[in-house]
Amino acid sequence: MSVVEIVRFAVRGLIANRLRSLLTMLGIIIGIAAVILLTALGNGASQYIQGQIAGLGANSITVLPRQPPDTVGTDGRPLTQGDVRALADPQGAPDVASVSPVVSVQDTTVEAGRARTDATIIGSTPSYFPGANVQLGTGRTYTEADVTAGRKVVLLGRTVADELFGIGSDPVGRDVLVRGVPFDVIGTLAPAGQGQGLSNPDENVLAPLTAVQGSLTGFGDLTQIVVQARSTEAQAAAESEINSILDRRHGIDDPDNRDYQVLSARQLADVLDDTLGAFTLLLAAIAAISLVVGGIGITNIMLVSVTERTREIGIRKALGAPPSAILGQFLVESIILSVVGGVLGVAVGYAGTLVPLGDFRPVVLPSAVVAAVGVSAAIGIFFGAYPARRAARLRPIEALRRE
Amino acid sequence: MTAGLGTAPLEQVPHVLDVRKLSKVYGSGETAVHALRDVDLTVRRGEYVAVIGQSGSGKSTLLNMLGCLDAPTSGRYLLEGLDVADLDERQQAVLRNRQIGFIFQAFNLIPRTSALANVELPLVYAGVGRRVRRERAQAALSLVGLQGREDHRPNQLSGGQQQRVAVARALVTTPALLLADEPTGNLDSASTADVLGLFDRLHAAGRTIVLITHDDEVAERAERVVVVSDGRLTEAAPSAAELPPRRPGTARAPR
Ligand SMILES: Nc1ncnc2c1ncn2[C@@H]1O[C@H](COP(=O)(O)OP(=O)(O)O)[C@@H](O)[C@H]1O
Ligand SMILES: [Mg+2]
Repeated sequence: MSVVEIVRFAVRGLIANRLRSLLTMLGIIIGIAAVILLTALGNGASQYIQGQIAGLGANSITVLPRQPPDTVGTDGRPLTQGDVRALADPQGAPDVASVSPVVSVQDTTVEAGRARTDATIIGSTPSYFPGANVQLGTGRTYTEADVTAGRKVVLLGRTVADELFGIGSDPVGRDVLVRGVPFDVIGTLAPAGQGQGLSNPDENVLAPLTAVQGSLTGFGDLTQIVVQARSTEAQAAAESEINSILDRRHGIDDPDNRDYQVLSARQLADVLDDTLGAFTLLLAAIAAISLVVGGIGITNIMLVSVTERTREIGIRKALGAPPSAILGQFLVESIILSVVGGVLGVAVGYAGTLVPLGDFRPVVLPSAVVAAVGVSAAIGIFFGAYPARRAARLRPIEALRRE
Repeated sequence: MTAGLGTAPLEQVPHVLDVRKLSKVYGSGETAVHALRDVDLTVRRGEYVAVIGQSGSGKSTLLNMLGCLDAPTSGRYLLEGLDVADLDERQQAVLRNRQIGFIFQAFNLIPRTSALANVELPLVYAGVGRRVRRERAQAALSLVGLQGREDHRPNQLSGGQQQRVAVARALVTTPALLLADEPTGNLDSASTADVLGLFDRLHAAGRTIVLITHDDEVAERAERVVVVSDGRLTEAAPSAAELPPRRPGTARAPR
């Protein structure tokens, strides 16, 4: 008896119970669609966040001072201009493109006439602009000469400019008071918008390092050091160069007990990637559970089908159907149910991903599609095998006696 | 296919069917039912045998075992010289397919399936190709007088017509043995006459038939009648005198 005949019997069996076949398939359709959709959601979210992180400045590395974890009460060494000079040495750190010392003061009052607002004042060198991926809006950036002379000039973040001088205004040439000290406005920063990074650059005010130290913080320790790697690829190498230089300078022998911290977009991306990976896995696991439920639905319906058609099985056996033909017929029925359900599920899942969700679009993983269809075929075989074997093993007379 | 199955030279196998000391017990312990006790029976090629007996005497039990639908508790059953107990499930399926045509009291057609497809079914399991299958099924349907009804479903046919479809289905593989368990039990007198006429023609054409009935009129048409009573089998006096009287099991040819 040929496979074609077995398939024909199976299709006839399914068509004879159209509604039931459809409902059984629905379980698989939902399961597969859930797998496709949820993995696409995880994947889309991952790609979206990767894009956001790229906006942070992919080559940017930030060094922050911190309390060493193991030495309770004793402060670690601060970050100094000496550290900056050591990091800027092309011999010791060949993968570093630029090093910018940074002092910053949060919640500082900035006034222009009657208007006033609070801003974060960041003092640094011109290399800070490319190093921290800050774009100029209007006017000019401060220069090395401004830093050397300690000129009191500032660039205003877009929100600060809007609040002090009106929305969309160009305050270049005007004066502001930063904690009572007058500064000339020489430029504004390009609007960064929401979500570009962890703090909002639109609320920053940028000035030469020396000017901020001279009028606000004093010439002491640095708040942070911003390092730019030569390239995205060189970032990991630059990070390890920073570690070895600072470990030597700060007398650190235990890497877990450093008095400074190196942060980069790359690290952030890695952490987020891991988190998103776990998240995607969780979604896939939920989807897999619904697939298993769908599979059990197939077993259930095939068992009902075998029970209901016991007499028919008996007749077929009395007419000489070998066990393999009966097994084949019911197995093929369940495989058809699950594979057709799987293909429809992929279609439904794919259609679902066309609906945009907030800022990001789900992105279908081709591997998820292949896996889903493969898994649904496997479900058909696995969950159909038991009822099919039961049918094939029935003794003809027992099957015929059943009503 | 099993070696020798259906290929044994017919003249060397005098009996289509040869049953020795066949017993069947349903259940066990206190509830055991001895449905058949040490039954011996031989049927020669071309014989038309009627099995009669009261309800519950064990007729169906016997026929089910002759049709390889059930296995005996003890005893031997040779079909065309082949011991059925030696065959595995798949080989028994082949045997049912090629050597046996079974006709049930309840017709047992596959529902929602046309008469033609029902008759084709044994040929499908025999691996016959589509075109040949169709031709042979159509021929079998014309033989039982149902040409033009090929596309009718069982629920669109009368009881007599359904039983004739079942007869066509039993015939279509040209089996060595036709078995019928009260084939006219569910039919009115006109349909009964139709079906019995059909058996007469098949018998005249040389088919071997074993038929269960409790209708004397039906039994009269057979050339030999055996009686089952409380699980034991006895030979009735032959209704026609063509055959010399003999007791079951005594006419066995030496092997
Ligand atoms: N599957 C079964 N389980 C238990 N007892 C059975 C079964 N089939 C038949 N019997 C019993 O075996 C005896 C013979 O039954 P059966 O062969 O059907 O008789 P008949 O066909 O002559 O009416 C009866 O007593 C019946 O109750
Ligand atoms: Mg009976």
